Amino acid sequence: MGFPYDEASWSAVDGAMFMGSGTTMPGMYTAIAAGICVLVLIYGQASEMRKARQFD
Amino acid sequence: MEEQIAEMALKIAALEEAAGGGGGAATTNTVFAETFYYLTIPLMIIIHAGFLAYEMGASRLKNVLSSGVKNILAFAFIIPTFYFFGWWVYFGFPTGWDFAEGPNGISGAAFANSIAWGWGESAQYMGPNIADNISGVFFGAFALFAATTASIMSGAVIERIQTVGFVILAVILGSFAWVVAAAWGWHADGWLVQDYGLHDFGAAGLVHAVAGFFALGVLINLGPRIGKFNADGSANHIAGHNMPLTVVGLMLIIVGFWGFLMACVVPPGEAWSWFPDKFSTIYGTPITLSALSFNILMGVAGGIIGSWVLTRDPFWMMSGALAGIISVASGLDIYYPALAFIIAFSAGLLLKPLANILERMGIDDAVGAVTVHGTIGLYGLVMLGVFASGFPALQGAAGEAPTISLMGQLVGAGVFFLLGFVPGYVCSLILRILGMLRIPEGAEIVGMDRVKVPAEGYPEGIPAPGVVLNPAE
Repeated sequence: MGFPYDEASWSAVDGAMFMGSGTTMPGMYTAIAAGICVLVLIYGQASEMRKARQFD
Repeated sequence: MEEQIAEMALKIAALEEAAGGGGGAATTNTVFAETFYYLTIPLMIIIHAGFLAYEMGASRLKNVLSSGVKNILAFAFIIPTFYFFGWWVYFGFPTGWDFAEGPNGISGAAFANSIAWGWGESAQYMGPNIADNISGVFFGAFALFAATTASIMSGAVIERIQTVGFVILAVILGSFAWVVAAAWGWHADGWLVQDYGLHDFGAAGLVHAVAGFFALGVLINLGPRIGKFNADGSANHIAGHNMPLTVVGLMLIIVGFWGFLMACVVPPGEAWSWFPDKFSTIYGTPITLSALSFNILMGVAGGIIGSWVLTRDPFWMMSGALAGIISVASGLDIYYPALAFIIAFSAGLLLKPLANILERMGIDDAVGAVTVHGTIGLYGLVMLGVFASGFPALQGAAGEAPTISLMGQLVGAGVFFLLGFVPGYVCSLILRILGMLRIPEGAEIVGMDRVKVPAEGYPEGIPAPGVVLNPAE
């Protein structure tokens, strides 16, 4: 169950209390966060090697 | 002998009653709740230790001790001035300039007069009192929030500010300006909370943004360090003398932030608690320590990674860690951790470009405080409005309690900007007119340590690194 926006009361919540609970949003956020980590590592590796090769 | 045995049996029965009955549980809860808050105080002092190391490392050798003296004095003057009047401001100001009592009955001039002055009847709550274990602990936690604001401003103005002028500014910021922001946007009776549904759990706006923009107001009047800008307006990088010290200082600030955010949580079961059985935010909405743990860690990580992408510089990476926490601080209670990571990552990405914009405007912020705390503080406040609209901002049911909205967060951002910038600009302008703001040019060139401090940071010097010819050396 997502947050009850109509009621907008915490008394109606007895479990997950974060934004997007009970919807697909947490999964999407997790996928995006994981994607950021992977992309950053790819970019970091490429740019570091480019710089390192200047000293070869 | 029999009398002694009987007396001992009575004592044992009383102890068993205390341990097993409601009285024992209540005592345990009280001790826990008070200790919970008490422990936030030394944790927050670590923030100050971090800022001290960070500023001293970011200073050149000729200014290293004077930067330390300035930071230490800020702490020392904030504590008594917060005692003298800052604590009163927090309880007196929530409803605005009329100083009236708010809906929860814990605000207004009359209430503040009854608990927060160090004289008369209220003095009983401002000193040791066997029937009041908590007032001093609350006071201590809030005084350390105040000291944090002064530390934020302190780093921005290093290497050219006068000591007394700085202390006056620190007191205005730490014992008044941010306290008004806290009264309006943190106190449950605050008009920003009651009327606009402002939610700023971890004080991104009311501590960080207020302090950051106060620093900006001061920097405009203080001017840049000699040599920072060229005649054509381009900027030079003025490196501090010890980057590792600065980076470790930033990490200490992160450690202290756990205490800072822990102090934003209200334990249950006491007369001053919101709930009998669960933790709450200062607004009376529920929170768990689990939420803090998830979201602070994801915020730190996101900020570091975002900063690393653009800078590869450990100073900016650790500043990114701070920015990461600050960007999600307003909603640490309700963010989903992966969302907190994404927001913090974006804050880390934005950090250096925003600092560059400030530098191009001719502002010499020696440690990036305006950007890390000010701009990112407001960014975090607004992001909560984007993602959390419709959530309760305060304890209560729909129709009774306000809900979070983008408009409410934007109003809060504007108010916090003004509460920081205006007093910072006006007070530093007055100090400049009085000749109390900036150290004379000759003293700045020779170094502030020789002028202000009868000691040397490195009396034997720092050995210059030799040229390494053999890679194995």
